[in-house]
Amino acid sequence: MIEVKHISKDFVTPKKYPGLKGAVKGLFSNEKIVKTAVDDISFEIQKGEIVGYIGSNGAGKSTTIKMMTGILSPTRGECLVDGIDPNKRRKENAQNIGVVFGQRTQLWWDLPLSESFTVLKEIYNVSDSTYAERMEFLNRVLEMQDFFDRPVRTLSLGQRMRADLGAALLHNPKVLYLDEPTIGLDLIVKDNIREAIKEINERYQTTVVLTTHDIGDIEELCNRIIVIDEGKKIYDGSLAALKETYGTKRRVSMEIRQPEKVAKLHLASLLNVREEECSVNYEKESNTLSVTFDKHKIQVPQLLTAVMSVMDIKDVQIQETELSQIVKEIYSHGIMEG
Amino acid sequence: MRKYVKIYLPFTLNALKRQMAYKGAFYLFILVSLFSSFISYYLWKAIYTSSDQATLGGLTQEEMVVYVFMVYVTSSIVMSSISNYVSEDVVKGTVAMNLIKPIDYRMSLIAMAAGNMIYRFLVPSVAIWIGLEIYKVTALGLRPVTAVEVLLYLLSSIMSFLIYVLFDFCFGMVAFFTTYIFGMMLAEEALLGFLTGQLIPISFFPSAVQRVFDFLPFSSMVYTPIMIYLGKYTGRTAGFMLFRQAAWVVILYVAGGLIWKRVTKRLVVLGG
Repeated sequence: MIEVKHISKDFVTPKKYPGLKGAVKGLFSNEKIVKTAVDDISFEIQKGEIVGYIGSNGAGKSTTIKMMTGILSPTRGECLVDGIDPNKRRKENAQNIGVVFGQRTQLWWDLPLSESFTVLKEIYNVSDSTYAERMEFLNRVLEMQDFFDRPVRTLSLGQRMRADLGAALLHNPKVLYLDEPTIGLDLIVKDNIREAIKEINERYQTTVVLTTHDIGDIEELCNRIIVIDEGKKIYDGSLAALKETYGTKRRVSMEIRQPEKVAKLHLASLLNVREEECSVNYEKESNTLSVTFDKHKIQVPQLLTAVMSVMDIKDVQIQETELSQIVKEIYSHGIMEG
Repeated sequence: MRKYVKIYLPFTLNALKRQMAYKGAFYLFILVSLFSSFISYYLWKAIYTSSDQATLGGLTQEEMVVYVFMVYVTSSIVMSSISNYVSEDVVKGTVAMNLIKPIDYRMSLIAMAAGNMIYRFLVPSVAIWIGLEIYKVTALGLRPVTAVEVLLYLLSSIMSFLIYVLFDFCFGMVAFFTTYIFGMMLAEEALLGFLTGQLIPISFFPSAVQRVFDFLPFSSMVYTPIMIYLGKYTGRTAGFMLFRQAAWVVILYVAGGLIWKRVTKRLVVLGG
């Protein structure tokens, strides 16, 4: 459905100098800075996939989305959406896609929401019967009827976001781009939006490309994620595989009976591993001993046997590394280079 | 054609509805611009009384009164700015929202400007126009306008509108390079006031300057329809003037299309 081939985008900005002196200097200099926001990215997305496109702020996510929607033209490379180059045939491509930019709205600010939908109906050439059917569906999943006649500027953020999503879906697009669709929303509205996206994807086989900073969005929605950093693609694969590859750390917390024996516990030598491969941390107040280790190196029963050979255990909790932890490490360049 | 109307008509209607949503600003606009018409009315009155010639620049004092108020009527219909929409879209980055829809950006802007034009025509202009016509016949003792003149005037005004919006679109494209064009918009307005004949009829300029103006689109924006209305352009001259307006519509349409193509190549969408 979407093919992105070696796409790059450079932004050229005039060089600025600090201070008043710099501002004057800037008037006469003609130096330019080239910043590569997206650097040689390629991927393919199949019909019906929900792909999470993630990266830290300024990594180049929105720029890629803008190139795929035909708003920006790539400096190098090309992309095809349903066989159409969005940059050369923008209007044709626009008929096939729906876009929600969480930070701005495509609705008419001063007019009642219903007016925006009437305009969109004409723009996308939606027939009366299809319109009625779609509106019924959208009203059911997005619950827009309560504020359908109110001017857009009076809507709350959650209502506006639902309305925007509805507006992007009115013409039943083949591809739906969502740029931070849950930004600034409360938990319940977030849940509603996620449910709606899921239902639309299942019912109409809509391909969804989603950028987000919300780990919940990714865990609930995406079957595949693409991670980019500083304009380069650094991971592309399923969520499970990402967890399998990078989420190898496991943590076991144990409440123990004999705190005085903690000092005697030499776990690394007992398990026959290096010191840094299992870090031990004892917390006096809650009387818990927590051990962090690589799950491929040490098995939990093995660990428990080792600990119990020294002291008694009251309670045990096992925690997998959470996705947020993995993502945080990717963003801070921890995992990929190591 | 019908499809075009169906797609862009909602833009026109929405602009109309928006105008009605902000009534206060609109009536203030009428008041202020009518005020400046009265200033130039008294200015011209002073000029004519202190002059020993009966006609200045080919216009009698009575015709000048009609000219001054027809400038108001015409320019409030014709000059429905779209560069302010462009500049707003660029500064706020909302131009992106227009580009994700299967519509032509320029056409949607023109459709919106048409909505503003219709509103301005219906609400103040027609009333002032009729008032002026009555005043002209009863107090000034001029002959009433003929039906042909009215029709030609309206036709010419519609072309003036197209020339203005197409020019203003090209001008608005500057916003994509400089981001902020408020100052330039003020400069544009001042320059147009001078070049279109809003401030002084073009016949007052030296003939060499008038020759240069013949090759610029500006006199076609305001001056031409008013001259037709005053009965100064008749027969073949009127035909030629209308033809010249049509030529400007085509030229500016093509030029705007080319500029837009270049702009989208190097477009930068601000924010987010």
